[in-house]
Amino acid sequence: MNVLVFAEVVENEIQEITYELVGKAKQLGDVTTLVVGNADVSNINSDVIQVDAGEPLPWHYKIVEKVFEKLKPSAILFGNTLTSIDIAAQFAAQLDLPMATMVTDISAKDDGFVATSLVYGGKVLVDLALKSPAVFVVNRGSFPAEEGKGSVGNVEKLSLEELGVSDGIEFVGYIKPEVEDVDISKMDIVVSVGRGIGDEANIELAEELAEVLGGVVAGSRPVIDSGWLPKTRQVGRSGKTVTGKLYLALGISGATEHVEGVKAKNVIAINIDRNAPIFRISRCGVVADVLELVPVLIEKIREAKG
Amino acid sequence: MKICAVLRVVPDLVEEIEIEETEIVPFAYIANERDEHAVEEALILKEKAGGSVDVLGVVDEDTASDVDEPLAMAYAKGADNLIKAILSRKTFRRYEVAKGLAEFLKDKGYDVIFTGIQAIDAFAGTLGGMLARCMNLPYIGGVVEVDVQNGTLVVKKELGGGLLGEYRVSTPAILGVVSAERPLKFVPFAKLKKAMKEANIDEVDIEVPEIEGIDVLRYYEPPKPEITLLEGDPEELAEKLVEVLKEVSVL
Repeated sequence: MNVLVFAEVVENEIQEITYELVGKAKQLGDVTTLVVGNADVSNINSDVIQVDAGEPLPWHYKIVEKVFEKLKPSAILFGNTLTSIDIAAQFAAQLDLPMATMVTDISAKDDGFVATSLVYGGKVLVDLALKSPAVFVVNRGSFPAEEGKGSVGNVEKLSLEELGVSDGIEFVGYIKPEVEDVDISKMDIVVSVGRGIGDEANIELAEELAEVLGGVVAGSRPVIDSGWLPKTRQVGRSGKTVTGKLYLALGISGATEHVEGVKAKNVIAINIDRNAPIFRISRCGVVADVLELVPVLIEKIREAKG
Repeated sequence: MKICAVLRVVPDLVEEIEIEETEIVPFAYIANERDEHAVEEALILKEKAGGSVDVLGVVDEDTASDVDEPLAMAYAKGADNLIKAILSRKTFRRYEVAKGLAEFLKDKGYDVIFTGIQAIDAFAGTLGGMLARCMNLPYIGGVVEVDVQNGTLVVKKELGGGLLGEYRVSTPAILGVVSAERPLKFVPFAKLKKAMKEANIDEVDIEVPEIEGIDVLRYYEPPKPEITLLEGDPEELAEKLVEVLKEVSVL
């Protein structure tokens, strides 16, 4: 079967999730990767169709549609990212194709596919049967990237004129992140707060814990959306990825969008909900009320440090 | 500017949810958080550009009353008209919902329709993009800010890692909001109670078409974490955590 992968490109660079998708797609069939823009495609381990159309835009579902007509793939894989989801949903609706989102696994079965999606904030898995051709929006980190990397096969270059597509959305430009007070992605110890911190006043508690540990405070989306911490402190898909020695998660449930940004060597999570998905990526999990435990923990750390 | 915001309800994950093989049975429903941000951004755009905001609560028969309070909340914050769209049947497929809603929305003359970018129960599509194709309108998701310049929308979209993109979009358009440009406005309980009494909610039945191609085989719980969870009194837990912090060379 033919499988089409839509490459994730940001600022003219192929993103790691593209290789994850290509690796999985190769298990399903013959792969072509569609790359919008002029990024270096030499490491993509498949054939490539490269379309000279600047950065990927929401209306580029029209490009995918043209390539779909040309290749007739049975499966079309997109990354679950803020760019690709816009394109995937419109492409699927335009062609009336079945679509699975938040996908963590795909297998071919009979004339179609079975996909597994992680939903309800990471608390539920659902197996779906999809008829072919089908669209899959795959969570980051679901498949290893190694098999998708290698030497590129045949590269076909096309222009928008050749494809005959255009639209009224205009890309003005990128807006880079604000200059940060602290770059949490470079810090070794990050104490991160989620909804379980309860109130803005309790952020002080997390700051005190970060101080005794020699780290900094970060947060999940609800805390940033509430304005309790600046945007530069957000961990997750929309924010930063933490890669240091310790990520101490206080009252964070661990939704998929959040854990995508947690690549620290050690994760310790404190949460009142013993079913919180954050425990699945933790080295150590504590079922407790953050507000009761953290003040005692601060004291014990001070004692230990003498 | 005539603005619409879509508001859905989803299971409240703070409460228990029962996972049965054929369905999810929540203890309670709450407003979809991203839709709350869509309503907020709609109200912000009204402040900037003038006009009116209609909030369209989307429910099925089982959840019809669960959207009343979130709709009243929107009213208390400044929404002009409240509509409850009751879908003819429960469906997990966003494309079916989009088709049904498009039929209702197509002749309403909205300049901008806001939706939340995603809902926690959206495993078969996302509403905004699909609605855009059903209505043949431009769509941008991941929206965090909207302005109007010379009659054109200027939209900021999240691209991940703190990076934003800026786009110009002509109206009418559909925008999928990830978070509003300011925190959700707080509504005191007394004001919400007053809005619950005063707000008039129009009801409309939406016929949802059945479209083949995708079926749920089963729902189930993800595997339990491989670690042993620590439980006990705070004193004891804090001591154990100090030991773990020593093990990982933080102390």
